Amino acid sequence: MTLQKIADAMVEGDVETGKEMAQKALDEGHSPNQVLDDGVLAGMEVVGERFKNYEMYIPEVLSSAKVMHEVMEILRPKLVSGEQASNKGTVVLGTVEGDMHDIGKNLVGLMLEGAGFKVIDIGIDQPAKNFIEAVKKENPEVVGMSALLTTTAPKIKEVLDALEAEGLRDKVKTMAGGAVIDQAFVDENGVDAYGPSATAAMEITQQLVDEVRKNAS
Amino acid sequence: MQVNQAHYSTPQFSVLSDDQCEMIFRGALEVMERVGGRFFNEEALELFRNSDALVTDDTLVKIPASMTLRALKDSPSKITLCSRDGKRDVHLGRNEVYFGTGSDCPFIYDRETGERRRYTCNDVYDAARVADYLPNIDFFMSLGLASDVQHDETYDRHQYFSMVSGTSKPLVVTAVDGEGLRDLYEMEQLIVGGEDEFRLNPRFAVYIEPSSPLAHGEEVLEKLLYCAEKQIPAIYTPCPSAGATAPATLPGLLVQSLAESLQGLVLAHLKKPGMPFIMGGVITIMDMKTSNYCYGAPELSLSCAALTDVSKYLNIPMFSTAGCTDSRAVDEQAALEAQISIETAFLSGASLVHDVGYLDSGLNGSLEMLVLCDEIIGMVKHLGKGITVNEDSLAADVTDQVKPGGNFLTHSHTHKHYKQEFYFPKLLDRHNVETWRAQGRSTILDHVNKSLNNILETHQPEPLPEGVEEKMKQIIKKADEKAAEGKKG
Ligand code: B1M
Repeated sequence: MTLQKIADAMVEGDVETGKEMAQKALDEGHSPNQVLDDGVLAGMEVVGERFKNYEMYIPEVLSSAKVMHEVMEILRPKLVSGEQASNKGTVVLGTVEGDMHDIGKNLVGLMLEGAGFKVIDIGIDQPAKNFIEAVKKENPEVVGMSALLTTTAPKIKEVLDALEAEGLRDKVKTMAGGAVIDQAFVDENGVDAYGPSATAAMEITQQLVDEVRKNAS
Repeated sequence: MQVNQAHYSTPQFSVLSDDQCEMIFRGALEVMERVGGRFFNEEALELFRNSDALVTDDTLVKIPASMTLRALKDSPSKITLCSRDGKRDVHLGRNEVYFGTGSDCPFIYDRETGERRRYTCNDVYDAARVADYLPNIDFFMSLGLASDVQHDETYDRHQYFSMVSGTSKPLVVTAVDGEGLRDLYEMEQLIVGGEDEFRLNPRFAVYIEPSSPLAHGEEVLEKLLYCAEKQIPAIYTPCPSAGATAPATLPGLLVQSLAESLQGLVLAHLKKPGMPFIMGGVITIMDMKTSNYCYGAPELSLSCAALTDVSKYLNIPMFSTAGCTDSRAVDEQAALEAQISIETAFLSGASLVHDVGYLDSGLNGSLEMLVLCDEIIGMVKHLGKGITVNEDSLAADVTDQVKPGGNFLTHSHTHKHYKQEFYFPKLLDRHNVETWRAQGRSTILDHVNKSLNNILETHQPEPLPEGVEEKMKQIIKKADEKAAEGKKG
């Protein structure tokens, strides 16, 4: 009952109730992992599904994500495998050199954070070397590149080449998106995945993280 | 004899009252003073530092209201753009409306295969020819971005060459940066004859976009300052989306858009007081389900019309948006979205109305859409002509002569007036069902395609003056060589 209320609060985007119910569930003797699985993740599943079917508005989804974050703050210290449960994967995200468009990238970042990934947003107009720096520092599973201009799309290739040159190409998976990017571009340039939308990016990121982890183990 | 008469010679339309315009204007002044804007250009920052503006935190500039008011006093309320033969065709000012295309779309549907592919120089040339031909298109922007060039950083020169070769109509150009703009300006002087000639008879305005919210990039400011220096008409036009890069409330969206334009205006006037400045915007909403930047939303038309009211209140020419759609195909959605925006922008009295021909939320520059919109603009302009009420047009005498039960077809009054009073569509079908069937049940899109094929096959633009092409190509070649050098080095 209480766990269901956590899930409902996520769907409603109700931070106060979410936090209250999470505390109550713990007080009632539910294990932190139960609260996580049957409360938080159950709620996020509904949200994800509804958003994918265009039944929910972006600000609502972002409110749901906020509830999740707040509840996780309560749960994290108590989770046995605390690190693991919250470590869904890391994404280095940026708009490529010469390109100032950031709405799409920001939205992708927010959605990925909402889905529980750690997002390192390096900003707009980022040359290949800054992607490399971030990869070295953050050790992400995924590198995400956004480009909205015909003239900046080729910069995606430069990032890939730089990853190759630094011997990092096999350690990460890459994703590209933005108005001028399509499947054909991604195929031609050897990017691992095309992100047609922020919603799609959530699922694709999960797949890419899984692949990287599988290869590593 | 009548007294106390008031006649409208056109329909009347406005979204905001003068009091509301003043509220929006004051809102913008408040944002400029309190929030400020980021300027990423050393020359711009230096100009601000030497003025009454406050430069803090390296790049944050706060502009006191008094400075803005001074700049506005200097800003011309009338700007003229000329066609290639020197005709002063486009008179920008309040309530004089001109329609034109948008620029730089990445994609086009190939006319042979229907496939979505990237724009080429030749596509831009074709778009220019079509715009050159269409009677209701007054100015031309590239419609697509010429991608079949060797160096991305010089695409603007190649694109400009395709534009100017394909049409004599006035242009609105985009440039990569200050250097690119300088090259376009030099190329155009080969036609007009020199800087003074250009200043008195400007052949193009320059499209420049700040980055919402309230940021102005390095190249953006290079272009704006170059325009100021040479007194080239500059269109400083933000593209905020309500709910994402601007407040979700339309007044908040208007305030921010205006503040962004006016920040540019103040800077440009610091460089050259009185330089020709055009405000504007593609101001719209983000679709909260799909995240689409909406080109066909009613909010776009409403807020552009409201911003046009503010522009008239401030006496600055306005660059507005219409004739565009979020539809991915030239279909019913495309037509109805274009119709609403064209009618609203026209009635609002904006000076330059751009983006006619945009499909796919600005990602596809469609010649079919352009031809379709030409008809819509024709109809809307007819509507805008309004009704002249006088003794002759009231036609009581005529009615008396025809008598109840008679007909007007043979009356001289009909012969005298119908050609002016009526609109004659080129693409709409008014045949009866028999004829329509006999003619193959064609729809408006069939007529659009037929008309477009005809234009593409037959319309030849006025050739460039002797020797100009070669000299233009030299300028382009120099830029390409420099780009190649840069890549080597
Ligand atoms: C890593 O994994 C992933 C996965 C998925 C990813 C992803 C990464 N990145 C994106 N996605 C995907 O998920 C997102 C959410 O679902 C989606 O992201 P999007 O970013 O596509 O969608 C956003 C949520 C909403 N969409 C947007 O915000 C973009 C809207 C349009 C109108 C647009 C805007 C707003 C702007 N612009 Co620019 N702009 C246009 C755009 C037209 C369009 N329909 O795209 C486009 C892209 N712009 C264009 C142009 C020409 C330009 N713009 C410029 C500037 C600007 C503004 C600054 C004014 C502003 C951006 C403000 C900002 N803060 O971002 C200039 C370039 C500046 C620069 N160096 O970058 C300038 C060159 C204009 C000029 N002449 O100065 C055109 C591209 C032309 C081309 N062929 O390349 C353009 C198509 C409009 C047009 N027709 O002119 C998906 O693509």
